[in-house]
Amino acid sequence: MILDFLKSLKDKPAFDQSLEISPYAAMMGFRFVRRDDQLTTEMKYHGDLVGSPFPPALHGGTVASLLEMAAILQLAWDIDMARLPKAIDITIDYLRSGKPEDTFARATVFRQGRRFATLHAAAWQSEPEKPIATAMLHFQLVD
Amino acid sequence: MASSGGIALLKKDRIISFHGINLNELVLHIPHAKRLGLRFIEKRGDNLVIEMPYSPELEVIPDTGLMANGAITAFLDTALGAAVSDQFEVFRRIATLDLRVDYFDKPRPHSAVRVKTRCLKVTDQIVFVQGDAYCEDESVPIAHAVAAFSHTELLLPGKDAPETKSDVGQIS
Repeated sequence: MILDFLKSLKDKPAFDQSLEISPYAAMMGFRFVRRDDQLTTEMKYHGDLVGSPFPPALHGGTVASLLEMAAILQLAWDIDMARLPKAIDITIDYLRSGKPEDTFARATVFRQGRRFATLHAAAWQSEPEKPIATAMLHFQLVD
Repeated sequence: MASSGGIALLKKDRIISFHGINLNELVLHIPHAKRLGLRFIEKRGDNLVIEMPYSPELEVIPDTGLMANGAITAFLDTALGAAVSDQFEVFRRIATLDLRVDYFDKPRPHSAVRVKTRCLKVTDQIVFVQGDAYCEDESVPIAHAVAAFSHTELLLPGKDAPETKSDVGQIS
């Protein structure tokens, strides 16, 4: 289903898609965006993402989840696959507190083998040069 | 009482309250934890058990009964944060420095997920924690997480709170 959704977007040079097809992605406010031939996964700010009311900050877990979504979408975009890859592990470095605003994430396939792939991902807010979190992820491509 | 760098540590099995809320439950009152439906189950010695009930809203692919990995990751982050808060007699400000999650298996369809936490070490600035996520059987974990959290004095708004330079880490 998600793979079909990605396939339907392949030929579009630019898009800004909500991920309403997935209940969890919709709840998180995730969007999948292609602009200037770059793919970004966005997390629209809303109150349910908050981890601390004072001072207002995003819950770190929401940023981890965004990084993971960005990675899986990038991997499924880059590689022709019959099924979504299976997550093996994720290691997140939390670099800065997340402000109550929109958050963006981008992932790159660092190495892809026959069975596994290693991705790096970064998330930022208003200042792209100041990532709020980075992650390294491993996925299993085939069962 | 145990202490670390002059900071009072909480005794095992003891549950203390902050404005009428159990300390180890306090973290569950944060908006994202509420959205995930997290609930505190029990404290066994130094271990906390926290549950995320099954919800169709947490499925990545509808009608599979499988909750999203992302939701489980956010749940583990919160549960480990609760375990960190639970180490202290007084509520402290905590931030996740890093978090590693290993995904062993899919959750059982339509099943609640529980996390049992364990604190590994408390230093004057850091708490090292880990936790296992499981569905029905505690001895069959579906995911494992390990994290380092910083802890500092909680300063409430007002004249007592100096302008603080933001540090590394994120709120859980």
